[in-house]
Amino acid sequence: MGKVVYAAAMSHVLYPDYYGKNVGPHGRRMVEELIAVVRDMGRDMLAAKPDALVVIADDHLNVFSFDAIPAMCVRIGRSVERMVQDDAIEFDRALDGLPQRYPLHEDLANRILEEGMEAGFDFAASWSAPLDHAFLSPVSTLCGQAPVPPLVPFWVNCFIAPQPTARRCFAAGGHIARVVAAGPWRVALIATGGLSHFPGLSLARVGTSDVAFDRRLVRLMEAGDHEALSALAMKDLDESGSHEFLNWMVLVGAVSPARARVRFFGEMGRIDLAALEWALP
Amino acid sequence: MSRYEVNVLLYRLKKDATFRSRFKEDARAALAQAELTEEEREAFVRWDSRRLNELGGSLHLLISIPGLGGH
Repeated sequence: MGKVVYAAAMSHVLYPDYYGKNVGPHGRRMVEELIAVVRDMGRDMLAAKPDALVVIADDHLNVFSFDAIPAMCVRIGRSVERMVQDDAIEFDRALDGLPQRYPLHEDLANRILEEGMEAGFDFAASWSAPLDHAFLSPVSTLCGQAPVPPLVPFWVNCFIAPQPTARRCFAAGGHIARVVAAGPWRVALIATGGLSHFPGLSLARVGTSDVAFDRRLVRLMEAGDHEALSALAMKDLDESGSHEFLNWMVLVGAVSPARARVRFFGEMGRIDLAALEWALP
Repeated sequence: MSRYEVNVLLYRLKKDATFRSRFKEDARAALAQAELTEEEREAFVRWDSRRLNELGGSLHLLISIPGLGGH
């Protein structure tokens, strides 16, 4: 009988230089505090001895192009490479210096994909998509110098309308949990991104966040009010800049009815940084 | 379809270093074959990233094109 042995969600640009440049010393200090918390969370995750690490994150038009944007996509195959971007700027630099190749948990990824199709989830599959900062910045911070568990990367389209609904993401998480429960593996789950930044995906509004909206999301996760979270409309996530909360909704669906515990919440101005863990039975 | 064309060009500017060099050298010539409205074309030529964003250009592409992005 398989088991989810660890579940957490966290912001995914864990890169002090980015916030140092774009926010200043205050931003650098805040993300350094978050990194320390995430490293501590990683020790808990690795102590749970997961056989696989499912990472639910989004693409930033690094991997998928406007030729085709999957609503949700499972990375299958035996290994995955980190994205290479020539002359990388901004948050793409978070990948600099990280290992080039990571193992995948092929069997778990295949089960999530194939049983998903049987269950009515039309997941896309990719044999070649590399991973950008949304996956590897948190994974590398969680694992530090320890070997990275075999990964199952799972993409959610957070940015290109029309996105999947919060309720659909929650349902997809429930599917992942059922696959894990039916299998033989100990599985860690993380969701990444957010919280509020880039409201409306408007260049004119870069540098602002919606703290009140995010504090409501956190309260609902702490209370385990997953119906209220599932009812979130994309227009609200877009207006608040909490697009990447769709990734979190997959994880919430996977651990429901568990309640979250806040490990970090920081109001930077440009973004609300957060890290939460779920208390699992 | 125009929004698609704007974003295809932004994606190409991020990923295709040769096209990016041509664009930096002579933006109007690099865009000669692109199916853009005049407003879109002028926004590219002036590299008016806010206007490109208002015209449907992806924020994440606009801020991450080497030598042109940033915010």
